[in-house]
Amino acid sequence: MTTFIEYLLGGISSGAIIALMALAIVLIWRSTRVVNFAQVGQAMFTTYVALTVRDATGSWLYALVVAIIAGGILGLIVHWLVIRPVKRADTSGAIIATFGVLIALQALAGMVWGGDTRGYAPPVSNEGIELGGRIWPFSAYDVLVVAVMIALVVGLTLLFTRTNIGLQMRASAFNPEVARLSGVRVSRSLALGWVIAGMVGAVGGVLVAPVSNVSPNSFDILLVFAFTAAVIGGLDSLVGAVTFGIGTGLVISLVSGYSDSSNAPVVALVLLALNLLLKPDGVFGHHNSRAV
Amino acid sequence: MLTVTDLSVTYGAVRALSGVSLSVPPGEVTAVIGANGAGKSTLMRTLAGLVKPASGSASLNGVTITGRKPEDIVRMGVALVPEGRSTIPDLTVEENLRLGGLWRSRVERMASQEEVFNLFPILGERKGLRADTLSGGERQQLAIGRALMSEPRCLLLDEPSLGLAPLIVTQILELVSRLARDSGLAVLLVEQNAVTALRVATTGVVLNLGEVVQSGSAEAIRSDEQLRHAYLGY
Repeated sequence: MTTFIEYLLGGISSGAIIALMALAIVLIWRSTRVVNFAQVGQAMFTTYVALTVRDATGSWLYALVVAIIAGGILGLIVHWLVIRPVKRADTSGAIIATFGVLIALQALAGMVWGGDTRGYAPPVSNEGIELGGRIWPFSAYDVLVVAVMIALVVGLTLLFTRTNIGLQMRASAFNPEVARLSGVRVSRSLALGWVIAGMVGAVGGVLVAPVSNVSPNSFDILLVFAFTAAVIGGLDSLVGAVTFGIGTGLVISLVSGYSDSSNAPVVALVLLALNLLLKPDGVFGHHNSRAV
Repeated sequence: MLTVTDLSVTYGAVRALSGVSLSVPPGEVTAVIGANGAGKSTLMRTLAGLVKPASGSASLNGVTITGRKPEDIVRMGVALVPEGRSTIPDLTVEENLRLGGLWRSRVERMASQEEVFNLFPILGERKGLRADTLSGGERQQLAIGRALMSEPRCLLLDEPSLGLAPLIVTQILELVSRLARDSGLAVLLVEQNAVTALRVATTGVVLNLGEVVQSGSAEAIRSDEQLRHAYLGY
């Protein structure tokens, strides 16, 4: 039983990071109806930016802030330079184009920062917390990760439900024509979706770096997990992305604990396949959400 | 006054509108009637900026609106309620309304919302509910309310009777025509249901295959038997 609890605890913070990536994917799907496979590439790139800032300043916080800004700018660039022109012709083309962006970013990162795997020291201890004479697999850093995720989810929820900008973004996603007829500058709202997703992804990248380390390909596996969580959650549900992001983290931790960590991606893909067979709209999805 | 001058629209090789001219004076309802495929919706979508005209123009009080984006046209005072109860089902009644005038100040918006609630009291009662919980008639009221939130000087109503019970249609249209009279709003109403439309309208315009075949007082068009047989099918 204690082992089971330990495995669960070990999965929470990786689940929180998967949730952030899944959130970024959902944010873009909701606004643009494109699955952004470049999301982890963008996060990898901004994490390298963070690493550079950190080497220069020594500050984890500065590095995070710069990464967030870079994430927003990179999201905007990808949207304007690649997605918008391609999507005008064809949506599935835009989805393929995101793979192109992923590969391009990985190549670019390799050229700029080299292909070596680099470490990223956490700002607080990554050692398990000792409680009641036992060391539990949950560290001060895990607490930070979970707190940041909760803050982001609350912030995004408030943005979407309480502000006019959020209302414009939701309206643009649900019905662009009615939004335009209501005076909403829909193309700006869509671009803002990419900016915010880029920022959320950047936070996820910086948070996962101490665990995964940083190399042009070190976030690839995160794409598999985040995509699984986003799809099972229904692709357009923020709640779904978070719930199944954490859920995926827990499942992976249990699978890795009881068998071998190399089985985790397989299990994720099996879950994804089962979901698509049994409940193709996702658990939190609307029935017609993908018909638009 | 909304003035449409020699407006033509083509979809590929198909001419959807040719040389349509009409004017929509403030304070009254102008009805455009005609059979399915006469070009009524194309006219409305062109005026709202969703479709680019091949030639011709439209202006509101002398300011050209054709060639502009829909989001700018609504800000200039021309608001379209598109066909099919154009509310956003996932948003609440209050959010649907708020959406209609987001660029305006909070004070102006609240004043408009108050007016909308006076006009359609049911929307005030249901403001916290999602739009998809409303009945068809209530959603049509919400769609009109959303358009009114932009404080338009010209309201374009595309086929509001679609799928609604005749009694509800009459009620809604009578409210709209009273609103036009009281506030000097210019209303352009497009309808397949000619009888209902001509009852509330002052002026009628008959559209057939993209061309204006007749225009004049609603009264005269209503009593023109030949016209009725030829274009309106009753």
